[in-house]
Amino acid sequence: MRPTENIEGFIRKRKLHIATSADADKRILNDSFAAMETAKAKLTGSWRNRWTMVWASKVRRLAAAAVIILLIGFVIVHQVSRRQTDGQAVMEAAKSPAEMLTFVSLTMAYRKGGIDALERQCEQAVELLGPRREDLSIGELLEELNSNGMNSERTEL
Amino acid sequence: MVEDRLLVWRFNRGSKDALRRIYEKYKDDLLGLAVTLLRDRSAAEDIVHDVFVSFARACGTFRLSGTLKGYLSTCVANEARDRNRLRAGRDAGLHSAQSPVLNSPGPAEYVMSCEESEKLQDLLARLPYEQCEVIVLHLHQGMRFREIAKALDVSINTVQSRYRYGLEKLRSIVNGEVTK
Repeated sequence: MRPTENIEGFIRKRKLHIATSADADKRILNDSFAAMETAKAKLTGSWRNRWTMVWASKVRRLAAAAVIILLIGFVIVHQVSRRQTDGQAVMEAAKSPAEMLTFVSLTMAYRKGGIDALERQCEQAVELLGPRREDLSIGELLEELNSNGMNSERTEL
Repeated sequence: MVEDRLLVWRFNRGSKDALRRIYEKYKDDLLGLAVTLLRDRSAAEDIVHDVFVSFARACGTFRLSGTLKGYLSTCVANEARDRNRLRAGRDAGLHSAQSPVLNSPGPAEYVMSCEESEKLQDLLARLPYEQCEVIVLHLHQGMRFREIAKALDVSINTVQSRYRYGLEKLRSIVNGEVTK
């Protein structure tokens, strides 16, 4: 017998290793597979039973139908509102460049000189730009502004 | 650990290969545990059979909350305890068990290790079942005291006491100073 001080080590080393017989393996695995199949069938059956339970009762059937209709309604409303939001975004982005420039220049004027500066800017804008087409491109507008600037410089000169 | 999780995942999806792999991985370990606890080969095989069949029944709903080895060892220990209660007082003996198969290099060492293993079985059989159970689960199955306590539904202090008293008793028996 080993020294008794290390009794834990002795027990650990002397772990019993027994090999199972082939017959036992076959029996255990076959029975386990059979049990597994039964469990799977039961699991599938339990889902089927739930559906059957739902469809058997009139009240539950109505409740299920209401839930489905509500879900479909929710999806439709969600889709429609999303499309509307997308359309608004497109419309906002499609504003004319002239409008955008005007808005920027008016904001800047207000920040610098308050309501008086804003009024002056409006008057100048009306004088310089006047009414413009909505489909005017930013390139055309800049070209026009540049040409106006050059003309005014020439006039001043 | 990761392999076990994967096996359990596949098993839950109805893979027979996963179940076979789990069985082949742990069968000898579990049989050894059952034989150590019951000292009866055929009863031990029945326990392993019952544990795997009930494990297979949990297909699709099985949730692993520790190690797979720990879970299966606990199942075997619980079954062994139940059977031990039923056959209390009856001495089945280890003679029906197959000779232990140890990885020994030579025949002399093989015989020695067999003798030592049998001696250990005899020593463990002289312990109260609860102490033997805790010692085997901790030292042979590598389960922590916390895990054992949870599995046996007792406090961790109780598990540690059983372990300590069990070892003390074994030490006394080996030293020839039997404590009563």
